[in-house]
Amino acid sequence: MSGELTKAIANLEENEALRLTREKLDSGEEPQSLLEESRKGMEIVGKRFSEGTYFLPELIYSAEILKEITEIVKPRLTQEVQSERLGKCIIGTVAGDIHDIGKDIVVFMLDVNGFEVHDLGVDVPPQKFVEKISETDAPVVGLSGFLTLAFDSMKETVDAIKAAGLRDKVKIMIGGGQIDEEIRKYAGADAFGQDAMTAVSLAQGWIGAK
Amino acid sequence: MPIERDIPLSLTPDNILRRQGIRQRTSRPEIAAITEKLLSEMFELCLLEPVAAYNIYSIATLGDDRVSLDNGMEIRSISLPSLLSESRELAVVVCTIGHRLEKQVTDYLKGNEPLRGLLLDGIGSAAVDSLSQEACKLIQNEASLRGYQASSRFSPGTSGFPITEQWQLFELVPADEIGVSLAASGLMVPRKSVSMVIGLGQQVTVQKRGEACARCNLSKTCLYRWEVNNQHIQA
Repeated sequence: MSGELTKAIANLEENEALRLTREKLDSGEEPQSLLEESRKGMEIVGKRFSEGTYFLPELIYSAEILKEITEIVKPRLTQEVQSERLGKCIIGTVAGDIHDIGKDIVVFMLDVNGFEVHDLGVDVPPQKFVEKISETDAPVVGLSGFLTLAFDSMKETVDAIKAAGLRDKVKIMIGGGQIDEEIRKYAGADAFGQDAMTAVSLAQGWIGAK
Repeated sequence: MPIERDIPLSLTPDNILRRQGIRQRTSRPEIAAITEKLLSEMFELCLLEPVAAYNIYSIATLGDDRVSLDNGMEIRSISLPSLLSESRELAVVVCTIGHRLEKQVTDYLKGNEPLRGLLLDGIGSAAVDSLSQEACKLIQNEASLRGYQASSRFSPGTSGFPITEQWQLFELVPADEIGVSLAASGLMVPRKSVSMVIGLGQQVTVQKRGEACARCNLSKTCLYRWEVNNQHIQA
């Protein structure tokens, strides 16, 4: 029945979602329509997260279910669709900061949502971001930082991107425990996010995905 | 320098949920089941190595922006002098749950299991919360032996106490002896570590956790904040 898979994902029923995926594939349903149903389920999860019904663990859980579904569906997709990505993003924790869990979750969420993610790791010097932008032509850059000291590193990174003549080619988002609009202005970024879901929405908005 | 090892920790479901970012009294059964498994694994693999080191110094003077100790060293902070106004001595404490849990979290994250990584990280944060409370009790005992009370604890990186003072704290407590070091930014390695100072005196200020949260510039947005009545903020 149409919508069953959407509902199973939205309600985080992992076994049911995987069973339905296999059953629908075996009965000849188009793999892409299953991915579309899954995407709708993720939309509901995102809505529940922003309403405060779901929390970060539920958001990550739903993304893991989606990843499993994608793995099941993948062999039935054409080569072209398999390698299709929405766009490139570069993510890293800025110089001086070694917090990785928030950044890793954003990387996972972007990946599951169809982006090609270049993860630069933690304590990343500004020049490394500049080099990666030049190398990949990625239009989205995410700077992560948990410490207040990271604000200066974020600003230095944005300044380095500007000095390299690449600022107009990229949209820059910043995120971390203490980021707000004031810090965004200070760093010279285009947007900030309080959670992984916002990072996905921003990237989708900038790259033009639905 | 006194070092206390194998400190028993109290991991309550409430604190674990709070540190996992779940602002409710219960989690979904699927999440609760994974958390249970992670807790078993944590104990089986001995992922927690709780240890605390501390030293106690006499306070020489309290200036407007610094606390001067009688060994000639100073801690710069605009908030500490008023918070420690009744204190005669200062305990400097560093405690950690060690590297092992963090390594396991990283393995989960890199192994495409971010949910387990996130949940175990939350358990680790709850563990270090419990450890710092136990370390405070140690200092309270030391204080009572001297006929003193112990104040609330204050950590670098909180309002009015710059994180750059970590370097000074680590001069006062050679924490390398318990395996804790500082990164260039002043961040502790392992990350699941806490550094703090506690005032000792005959009449000292004891703040509720929520009062400390209220002074913080993240008081309205922090996922882990406490209300003034010490209740965890619910969604």
